[in-house]
Amino acid sequence: MNQETEINLEKEGDITVFDIQRDVTAFSESVFSKAYQDADNQGTKKILLKFYEDAYINSGGIAILIQLLAKTRKNNQLICIAGLSSHFKKIFNMVGITKFAKIYNTVYEAVAVIAGES
Amino acid sequence: MELLSLCYIFKGLSTSQFRRLSEITKEEHIQKGEFLMHEGQKAEALFIIKEGEVELLTSVNDTFELPITILRNPGDCTGTSSIVAPYVYSLSARCVKAAQIFIIKQIALEKLMQEDHKLGCVMMKNLAQHLLGRLKETRQELKIHFKTIFQSIHP
Repeated sequence: MNQETEINLEKEGDITVFDIQRDVTAFSESVFSKAYQDADNQGTKKILLKFYEDAYINSGGIAILIQLLAKTRKNNQLICIAGLSSHFKKIFNMVGITKFAKIYNTVYEAVAVIAGES
Repeated sequence: MELLSLCYIFKGLSTSQFRRLSEITKEEHIQKGEFLMHEGQKAEALFIIKEGEVELLTSVNDTFELPITILRNPGDCTGTSSIVAPYVYSLSARCVKAAQIFIIKQIALEKLMQEDHKLGCVMMKNLAQHLLGRLKETRQELKIHFKTIFQSIHP
């Protein structure tokens, strides 16, 4: 599991999409911090974490996501997730991430729902 | 033999040592969903991935499984508790994509390590280096959790 995370920021209207490439581990912290800092500096109020079906997110990666959720909650930013495999949807649900971030099947679905929210 | 040479634990062994390892290695097919080992079980074998994917997990409160890592590259291995006392698996390993794996039984490997001390020394040195990397990752994870707690207490 040695695939370093890469995040590209994209815009879908007023939503900043974190296009997350490859696996997420504890060593992905700086990449997520930078992406969030850049998005926050742009004044974003809506963040969508886009994962790919084959992404692997271990316990360290989950810790980073929880850290990110805490930041967005503190800054009154809406955050949601799309693209996860069913395996990780189940894990995220069990860990409680879904209490703070809704999970959508696709980016299209997520954008359709949250674009209109304030 | 070529696949065994991709495994970090065997890095630096000689051709003859690889030959001896091959003699105690068996290949098996593992179906998706099948477990190679269970956390807490007696560690009786070392497993090396030839192809397919195997996920390593740990149980939390017996209610859910926390993902630790995924083994998907040829040569990735697990089950190293079989060569370290108290010989109990610290994680479970479940096949997530049908796999071909190499299995080396603990009894045969321990015998080989006792007969060839250089081989044993190289393996333990490689294992120590690998475990140091895992420890660093675990510490990094711990730091992340503490940062989150700290930031929630001190807004």
